[in-house]
Amino acid sequence: METKFDVIVVGAGPAGASAAYTAAKRGLKVLLVERGRGAGSKQVFGGRVYAAPLREIYEGFDKEAPIHRWVRKERVSLVDGNRMVTVEYESDQAASFTTYLTQLTSWMVDRAVNAGAVFVDEVRVDSILRDGSGRVVGIDSGGERVYADIVIDAEGVNRLLLEKLGLVEKTRPSQVALGVKEVIKIGEDKINERFSVAPGEGVSWVLVGAVTGGMPGGAFIYTNKDTVSIGLVVYLETAVEMVEEPIHVMVEKLRTHPALGRLWADGDVMEYAARLTPESGYRYMPRKLAAHGLMVVGDAAGLLLNTGYTFRGVDYAALSGHMAGEAAVKALEQGDVGEENLRSLYEKPLLESFMVRDLRRHRGIEWFMSNPEFFKKYPALAAGVASKLFDLEGEAPTLLDALRSSAKEHGLSMFRLAMDMFRVVRKL
Amino acid sequence: MSLKVVVGIKWVPNTQAVRFDPKTGTLIREGVPSIVNPHDLDAVELALQLKERYGAKVTAISMAPPSAIKGLEHVIGMGIDDAILVSDRVFAGSDTLATSYVIAQTLKRIGDFDLALFGQETIDSSTAHIPAQVAGWLELPYMYYVDRVEEVDEKQRTVTVRRMLEDRLEWYQLKMPAILGVAMKSQKPRPVSIYNKLRVRMENPIQVWSNKELGLDPRCLGLKGSPTLVSKVTWTPEVPRKKQVIEGPPSEAVKKLVEKLCEEGVLPFEC
Ligand SMILES: Cc1cc2nc3c(=O)[nH]c(=O)nc-3n(C[C@H](O)[C@H](O)[C@H](O)COP(=O)(O)OP(=O)(O)OC[C@H]3O[C@@H](n4cnc5c(N)ncnc54)[C@H](O)[C@@H]3O)c2cc1C
Ligand SMILES: Cc1cc2nc3c(=O)[nH]c(=O)nc-3n(C[C@H](O)[C@H](O)[C@H](O)COP(=O)(O)OP(=O)(O)OC[C@H]3O[C@@H](n4cnc5c(N)ncnc54)[C@H](O)[C@@H]3O)c2cc1C
Repeated sequence: METKFDVIVVGAGPAGASAAYTAAKRGLKVLLVERGRGAGSKQVFGGRVYAAPLREIYEGFDKEAPIHRWVRKERVSLVDGNRMVTVEYESDQAASFTTYLTQLTSWMVDRAVNAGAVFVDEVRVDSILRDGSGRVVGIDSGGERVYADIVIDAEGVNRLLLEKLGLVEKTRPSQVALGVKEVIKIGEDKINERFSVAPGEGVSWVLVGAVTGGMPGGAFIYTNKDTVSIGLVVYLETAVEMVEEPIHVMVEKLRTHPALGRLWADGDVMEYAARLTPESGYRYMPRKLAAHGLMVVGDAAGLLLNTGYTFRGVDYAALSGHMAGEAAVKALEQGDVGEENLRSLYEKPLLESFMVRDLRRHRGIEWFMSNPEFFKKYPALAAGVASKLFDLEGEAPTLLDALRSSAKEHGLSMFRLAMDMFRVVRKL
Repeated sequence: MSLKVVVGIKWVPNTQAVRFDPKTGTLIREGVPSIVNPHDLDAVELALQLKERYGAKVTAISMAPPSAIKGLEHVIGMGIDDAILVSDRVFAGSDTLATSYVIAQTLKRIGDFDLALFGQETIDSSTAHIPAQVAGWLELPYMYYVDRVEEVDEKQRTVTVRRMLEDRLEWYQLKMPAILGVAMKSQKPRPVSIYNKLRVRMENPIQVWSNKELGLDPRCLGLKGSPTLVSKVTWTPEVPRKKQVIEGPPSEAVKKLVEKLCEEGVLPFEC
């Protein structure tokens, strides 16, 4: 039996599947190893993916991929108790779509297999093998070894293999967030009606404030074909200090929220899932993204952008996997899989890509996310202002009056308010 | 010639993930992932031990829809040599009689097997009919609750097995070929290994047989061949739980807990 491959990819998420697809399509002998049962079975995510990078990787993406709805409406809500202030943006362009990550990932793995990659599931890689001089030469699973010129680590956020190699430190709570999600089935027509969208079009909705009990983080709602995904992301470090109730209770509250619950009250909860995600990619990036015979892609490489109003993880993962696949092809052509060569073929273009540039630019979100004040006071302030403007009984205040008195109620001076606003604009 | 062992595998909905529809009283199977019947893994493990001890060749068989290929890949991943999926629309709706008939005929077609191992029962129907009925169709000796194969004597063509009952152990010697029902939870099924999984991809060890290969009379198959009638299905209503959290240091909390349990009459003694 063959025991040596050109490339072994560890982890069949969007990053690993795309790495395997690109490398196999270019004629390399590729093994893709996944510990879960079937492709994508261990996958949890919010629900919206940006399409452009995927089109670049997969021919015929728009036609063949399991796309549920193209996002035509973006909503952001500040929630305070049962009140909320919502901003909606609607456009006839759609840059992103909703889907189930399990479906999208198994589609990607199918493509990789059709391109010639060997896919094995239900197999956990226990360690990445190095020879005496520290070069990566393969993997170990339950004492069995499989060799390859290049190993691509696509193990996701929980990077036990990289820890073992000493390439990253143990993950700290301050670096990760916990996401939980429910999928509720309400039917295709009802979604079109209740979210007022045309067939095939959908909504992406982010909510901040009381939905996380005022903890840093937020809630999301995405419309799929005949279901909605709802869920929360909370930042572990602050959650540990502030959390007042179990997170599944918070999800329950979101599901039964008076202003939201009626959208899906008659639906069935099909699925409940929870998973970690890097809080902010930039700080989570390993010191180096390649070593002799090794490249790191996707969440494991810290490639997740969270701007507060949108998540980019899947497309970044896929694109980095694709780039590593191409780098593998070139490195093997040149007969040099040394650290220097892999860093110049993979790490350098990646660091110069829009992905890492965006991660760097949005670093301010870290500051934001470690400031619980924002998540408690500002949604309340916004709702307070709106209430003063709209819940009229007697005289109608001006906007400024409403803002001033609402700020006072929440113990914020106008000066402080202005400073915070300035910082938010600068940081985001 | 080396020992030849067959293992029966049923592809079942993961009952832990199945929910009951209280309105219709039926199982909601939609979207529920299927798994290999967990008790069949005891039979797989025992067969793999025979492979190690006697160099047996082990074949898995399953009568199931095509999705069961995943389950057969799983047991090959554990170390089974090859597998036959018996799959045809005419088998749909079979009760245990029709199912055991198809399995028996599959064994007949395989021909030269020495032992056929089955799980004790399934998690979705748990009749434990199949192994006994297969033995009946083939008129072969049958022993169930087997937890150990003590010895295979290939010259005398006998197998000595142990079975564990509630209060005793028993040993039996059977003539081969023989049918064994393996006691559930009697073995520690081994995990999947990467080289065995690679064999699935590189060697195509799974065959699919339809009724074209078996050539069985449709009157004995599917609903037509199934005399069983399900007259009624009821379900056990869920008992609402009285969730209570008892605060305080453990020593006091335990006292309160015991008091509560006494009040409820849960404890078997006077308080
Ligand atoms: C609640 C939540 C909401 C999110 N929402 C969005 C969103 O709306 N849009 C978006 O683009 N992104 C979102 N993300 C982020 C996105 O899910 C990730 O960025 C993306 O899945 C990363 O892909 P990956 O391939 O790097 O890792 P993963 O998807 O985590 O895949 C890693 C794979 O490796 C396997 N594996 C790990 N270790 C081993 C091992 N030792 N041996 C074998 N296999 C192994 C795992 O089983 C897994 O299948 C969200 C994340 C969360 C948690
Ligand atoms: C009227 C009627 C219609 C039915 N229609 C269907 C149907 O359409 N589809 C369906 O899936 N079930 C159907 N069933 C259920 C099906 O007949 C039984 O589940 C099946 O005969 C096995 O019985 P059991 O699960 O109780 O297995 P048990 O006898 O408890 O199983 C013991 C062992 O036998 C082996 N075994 C059991 N089944 C198989 C198999 N299929 N292949 C290989 N080995 C096996 C396993 O090793 C198992 O551990 C129907 C039942 C009735 C009464």
